[in-house]
Amino acid sequence: MNLERVPNEEKLSLCRKYYLGGFAFLPFLWLVNVVWFFKEAFVKPAYDEQPQIKTYVKRSALGLLFWIAVLTTWITIFQHLRGQWGEVSDYLSFTIPLGVE
Amino acid sequence: MTLAVFFGCAFIAFGPAFALFIFTIAKDPLRVIILIAGAFFWLLSLLLSSLVWFIAVKASNAEDTSLQRGLLIFGVIFSVLLQEVFRYAYYRILRKANEGLAAISDDDSSTISVQQMAYVAGLGFGIMSGAFSMINILSDSLGPGTVGIFGDSQYYFITSAFMTLALTLLHTFWGVVFFEGCEKSRWWVIGVVVTLHLVVSCLSLLNPLYSGSLPPVYVIMVLMAIWAFFSAGGSLSSITQLCSRRMSDVNSS
Amino acid sequence: MGPGFAKWIITVAFCWLIQIASGNSVEQKIYVELNNTVPCVRLLNATHQMGCQSSISGNTGVLHMLETDSDLDIILRTGPHAPYMVLMDAGFFNSSIMLRMKNSTRIAGVAVVIPNSGPLEGFSPHNTCPNQHTGVYSDSYGPRLADCNGTIWNRLGNGLSFEDFKFPIFSLKDDNQTGVIRKCVSDHNMGVNGSTPAFPLCAMQLFSHMHAVTSTATCMRRNDIQNNYSLNPETVCDPLGDYNVWAPLRPINSTEKGHKANESVVVAATRLDGRTFFWDIATGAEGTVAGFVTLLAASQALKLTARQAPPPRNILFAFFQGEAFDYIGSSRMVYDMENNNFLIDLENVHSVLEIGQVGLRRGSELWLHTDPVSRRNDTSVNTEVEKLLKNMTSVAAALSLSLAEPNATQPLPPSSFQRFLRSRQIPGVVLADHQSAFNNRYYESVYDNAAYLNVTYPSDLTPEEQLVFVTDTAKALAEVATLVARSLYLQAGGEDSQLDNITADPNIVTQLLYGFLIQSNNSYFRSLTNPEDKSLLESQAPQYYVGVPITANTIKRSTRMVQYLLANYIGNPTSLNQSKCQDPSGMPGESKELYSYLWVRGANGSEPSPFCVRSTVRRTHAISPAFELKQYDSQTYSTWTESRWKLIRARIFLVASHELEMLTLGVGLAVLLLSLFVTYFVSTKADLIFAPAQESTGTAY
Repeated sequence: MNLERVPNEEKLSLCRKYYLGGFAFLPFLWLVNVVWFFKEAFVKPAYDEQPQIKTYVKRSALGLLFWIAVLTTWITIFQHLRGQWGEVSDYLSFTIPLGVE
Repeated sequence: MTLAVFFGCAFIAFGPAFALFIFTIAKDPLRVIILIAGAFFWLLSLLLSSLVWFIAVKASNAEDTSLQRGLLIFGVIFSVLLQEVFRYAYYRILRKANEGLAAISDDDSSTISVQQMAYVAGLGFGIMSGAFSMINILSDSLGPGTVGIFGDSQYYFITSAFMTLALTLLHTFWGVVFFEGCEKSRWWVIGVVVTLHLVVSCLSLLNPLYSGSLPPVYVIMVLMAIWAFFSAGGSLSSITQLCSRRMSDVNSS
Repeated sequence: MGPGFAKWIITVAFCWLIQIASGNSVEQKIYVELNNTVPCVRLLNATHQMGCQSSISGNTGVLHMLETDSDLDIILRTGPHAPYMVLMDAGFFNSSIMLRMKNSTRIAGVAVVIPNSGPLEGFSPHNTCPNQHTGVYSDSYGPRLADCNGTIWNRLGNGLSFEDFKFPIFSLKDDNQTGVIRKCVSDHNMGVNGSTPAFPLCAMQLFSHMHAVTSTATCMRRNDIQNNYSLNPETVCDPLGDYNVWAPLRPINSTEKGHKANESVVVAATRLDGRTFFWDIATGAEGTVAGFVTLLAASQALKLTARQAPPPRNILFAFFQGEAFDYIGSSRMVYDMENNNFLIDLENVHSVLEIGQVGLRRGSELWLHTDPVSRRNDTSVNTEVEKLLKNMTSVAAALSLSLAEPNATQPLPPSSFQRFLRSRQIPGVVLADHQSAFNNRYYESVYDNAAYLNVTYPSDLTPEEQLVFVTDTAKALAEVATLVARSLYLQAGGEDSQLDNITADPNIVTQLLYGFLIQSNNSYFRSLTNPEDKSLLESQAPQYYVGVPITANTIKRSTRMVQYLLANYIGNPTSLNQSKCQDPSGMPGESKELYSYLWVRGANGSEPSPFCVRSTVRRTHAISPAFELKQYDSQTYSTWTESRWKLIRARIFLVASHELEMLTLGVGLAVLLLSLFVTYFVSTKADLIFAPAQESTGTAY
């Protein structure tokens, strides 16, 4: 969808939908929101709905950062300690690599 | 570590073709089409000759080494002649298509001269034949081993890459000269091209003396380059003109 | 152009692609594949992983021949081409060198050239106390005898089979291919006058990446997870196991399992398997073959007398599989007996006579090993053992064999009988050629082969002449077999007067030894097996590593051969035809509950005259009860598993110097940049160079 051709109210509603959708453990929606609406929120000349879009984009970015931090930490810990955890990590793994502890 | 050999050989074999492609072909869709169609025609010729080769080998006695050697020589000559036949066929088709292309073209800049067509078609032939002669070798150059356990030269990969480079450029030059011969009905030109192609291919029968076949091929390549230069409209005077211009540029600045 | 033509084009193109793919001559110029190699693979037990493995893409290293101690120094410390692939003769394959390599990061792998005969001082990669933790002696049963405290059975054991190497180790036969490797090394890797050799260097790549890790508990858990949750389950390890072969002398009805009233059975036991450091080579001449050949010959000797003057007790011939790995076969049979899952239970077992290693006697000596703990604790057991010993000694006296008992406090050697004792105090004897430590200097090693057992033939004999040539070993083992057969007969309550009719035939023993140690594809074995079973016989010595079943129904060749032979020896030919042989139900006098039926080729000559043999021989699973009970960390039962792998492969080739590789890359970059520059320059000046005098603009813009 080309945002250029969408009226401002609809932009706001779209941005809100993506923002709310992200709370359903869907951080990628926040990522899309940030990338897609960044120009609308911070670059375009001001219009009525812009402050609200700005808030949504900021909050989406915050949520996204939080997710990135959590996932990176978890992946690092898991990959490092998989071998030591033994049984637990086997049950946590979707595919078990061959020949690796 | 053998990744270095892989990239080195790939750059040697396909570097010039790559440079020619991005600076002279890629911007013009018509040239891209002609290039790819040229590559396709070369593939067709290879398909036919390999079919004949396949049947000949299956039908012959695999134990008889002199017969197999003879078949190999026959296969090379047959394949070269077939490639040249396809080059001629491609010339005829391009000739026909060019009128049509000119007619439908609404933009004068996209029309293409016969020399340009010849060059692009020749490069198409060259790229495809280069790819086919090099791709297996490239995949094996990834290692971990290198050639030589049976006493072969350890420079096998790099000589093969240079051979491919020469072959690609030779096809381009042959394309230019061949099309000009066709255009002006100078049949001796076509004869010379076919003969040289035969000579170059038969030099590969000298293998495994790879470095032995490389110098003559490069001599032929240089001669062909000069010929192609002149037949494409280049002249000594244009070069001197260019040089003097540069000189005057330098002086004036 | 119809669809037919398109189809034709596709077919042709396809054939042509296959041609390209299969005929890659460049690869043939680079690599020499080594086909006659045997890897060391990863085995796991309840707590450890052991064996060897490569990385997933194979280990590559410059070959270095280990010939002197200075070579070792080059490999481990000073050499410039680390990591090294070490090529060594078997003389260097000992624990001190291998453990130094194990702790080094400069080793890519090891290739050992194995000669036909071992080092004089002996070599055993097994540990000093075989099956240490799964025998009968423990803290609760003869604590002072536990862990080989009294007797070190395998003094030469260096424990290499129980080490976990992080690099692959392959064995090579001393043949043409090894010659090719040696030539490659001496041509390329030997510097002139001790200087560093110049590139290109000869290198080797070994693939043996193992899928299982840590322990049986881990790998079996992963198997279960994969089977339950994964879309394409990938098994990572399999329990070692195969089949036990056994046969009661008198038929016992197999429909009812568990205790049989009025049945008293003497068990004659031996083991069917061995192992070595390397995977699936285990010729086990002294460790395995001598024992079961003796028992086979004894069963044959007993047959006639047992029919004419049947002894009051029954005799059960039992050949246990997987005994080298913590008594898989015998622990399974005892487990089945305890759970009423076998023809008889332990109460039916009157006594046990086990045949251990009997092929390397010193003179006429044989030793009768008994269990001091049960004899001391239980007077009735002691009385029975005394009786058994007396019987055997009296039999031996007539045979010019001298039997002796070791020190009364010495424990039993590693033996299947220990697994019976774990469950019940049963009188029994283990017959062996050693007093305390094994006579076998090559216990569970590749050198325990025909030559070590002195099964050798004059050089001018054809294979068929070798088959019937009676070796001294065969004569000696026939004596032991006679002793065993007569002792069994007495032990089963038979009359003394019949003993002279029981004699093992050296001609049979020699053919058995030939078949089990030289090649199983010989006229004798052919005549006693099913001609349609093509994969059974092979033109080399069978291997006795128990291994894992390839499919659910595969049975080891050696197991099937022993089954056929035993059936022929104690069974009877019948007049059933081939189809009735498979299903004889309804025929008068035949019963599948009492007997099993095997179709054999017959006729020890060129013309086959096949017939159906009726015997009491059966097979039962020899898979450790630990896997039945899913106790993968069991301390009681064998928990051995073998890892799976995708690829076992070895090849040699040359590697180029770093300088040449960098030179190639540099030239490549130069060519690329130069052509980019030149093309750019020419294409911008094209209209100047290619003058419009000739109507067009030429090659470029």
